Amino acid sequence: MERQVMKKTLLAFREMLSKRCSRVTAAVLVLLLVFALIPPGANAGIGDIVSILISIYGTLRGGIGGPLNTILSVNTSIRDLHQQVVWPVASLNQARGFVSQVTGQYRNAMWQIHTLPTDSATLINPSQLEAVLRSGQTSGIAQIQAAYQRLYQRLPGANDAPAADRNMLDMDDAFAQEAIKTSVVSDQSGNQMLSFADTLEQQAGQAAPGSTPLLTAQAQIANLESQAFLQKMLATELREEAARLAHDNAVRKRNAGATRNLRDQVHQVLSRP
Amino acid sequence: MNRQTITRIENLLTSRFVLAAMLIAAIVLVPSRALSQFVDPCCAVITTGLNTISGLLRNVVAAPLRSIQQIQQQTAGFEQQVIWPADAINRARGMATLGQTQFRQMNQLYQIPVASATLPAPQRLEQMLLSANPQNVAQVSQQYNSLYGPVMPSQDAPAPVRDLVDMTDAEAQAAMKRAMEIDALANLELQAADQMNRQLQNAAPGSAPILEAQTGAWLVRANAYTQSAMAELVRVRSIELANAGAQIKMSATQTTGLRNAAGTLLQQGAH
Repeated sequence: MERQVMKKTLLAFREMLSKRCSRVTAAVLVLLLVFALIPPGANAGIGDIVSILISIYGTLRGGIGGPLNTILSVNTSIRDLHQQVVWPVASLNQARGFVSQVTGQYRNAMWQIHTLPTDSATLINPSQLEAVLRSGQTSGIAQIQAAYQRLYQRLPGANDAPAADRNMLDMDDAFAQEAIKTSVVSDQSGNQMLSFADTLEQQAGQAAPGSTPLLTAQAQIANLESQAFLQKMLATELREEAARLAHDNAVRKRNAGATRNLRDQVHQVLSRP
Repeated sequence: MNRQTITRIENLLTSRFVLAAMLIAAIVLVPSRALSQFVDPCCAVITTGLNTISGLLRNVVAAPLRSIQQIQQQTAGFEQQVIWPADAINRARGMATLGQTQFRQMNQLYQIPVASATLPAPQRLEQMLLSANPQNVAQVSQQYNSLYGPVMPSQDAPAPVRDLVDMTDAEAQAAMKRAMEIDALANLELQAADQMNRQLQNAAPGSAPILEAQTGAWLVRANAYTQSAMAELVRVRSIELANAGAQIKMSATQTTGLRNAAGTLLQQGAH
């Protein structure tokens, strides 16, 4: 039943399409389709265009021009700060000039004071030892022992003094000579350090603010080296002082032994019938 | 309109030719938006607006940008020629190389042998004291006693004298041990300084302050070690001073004892 109804409907539809009036409908439909597909014109008014241009103008003037002017102002301030306050060329040159001036004013004067002769011995042997120990040249270290022995005598022979005395004297001489040799080493090293300080100062006189940290770090390293050498000298002084203390104490011990021997001998003498 | 006319129009509309023609006409007749140059007021407004914007770009954007570029160039030139000139930086690096060479030479001076003892016992002690080896510190007392002797036995000296002798030996040995330690520390500081110097040769102005800070810290440390050695020196001298004072005190006591004994003896003789 339903199938038949459907069939009838389709037939009626076909008939309708084949009729003339349906062609009219089709033509109207095509026209409508054409009009629908045509893009609508965007017809902006003059007011809209003016508004857009004003907006662009505002963005350029306020949004871009404003920050650019601020950047310009900041850059100018930074440049002025660097060139006029932090690193004014005149001040840099003045500082370099100051370095040169101080160098010229003090370096030679100080070196002359430092190298003033302090030799004071008058006799031959003391003069020889003094010359070596104040030479500031480690090449003379080998001569120290001979000069020292000529002045302070050789160690007594095994038959001339007890072994304990000979040991102690040898130790005393050794510490004294070690200290003398170390002082010669220190003099030479100190002079080299002075020479390095001169070079460093000269470099400071030609330095730029940017290269100064490298020189400052170098000076700090030199300071550390100097401190280490100073410690070596201090160690020598400690040994020397310790040896003197030990020497005095050894004499004290020996005196106690000698006193006991004397007491024993007196006791023996007094206790004889 | 009569029926015949309506039928004609209907026929005309329904013919295929007419349909196609209408389609073409519809497409052709759709207006395209071509704006005339002189008649449309929008064009004049846009032209004026674009000209204004162009002027604005020139004055508000381009001019500051040009100034900024100029300032940046000036700043770059100033920094490259005045603040961080490459030749000055290279000279400063060269200074580090020179420093390393000179410091090594100075360090070698301190390696020159300074030992001078000739007899076996002093040689052993001296060798140990100059070794700069902290591992030898424990053996110092033995070598010291073999050279300077131990504290005398109680029957040889009164207790105050033995105390004084023991204290003096202790301080002398402590000073010797401290000397070995400070030598070893100084050698380590020199090694570290050498390393820092090598590092400085490749440093930049911006990294140099870091090395400077580290060297500063090492200096503080070195000063502290020097201070401890100075303290030891002060102790040695204070023990010397104390010994000299004790000597006088003991002599005074002995004199008093002798005077009393003599007085007693004389009184006995008088009776």
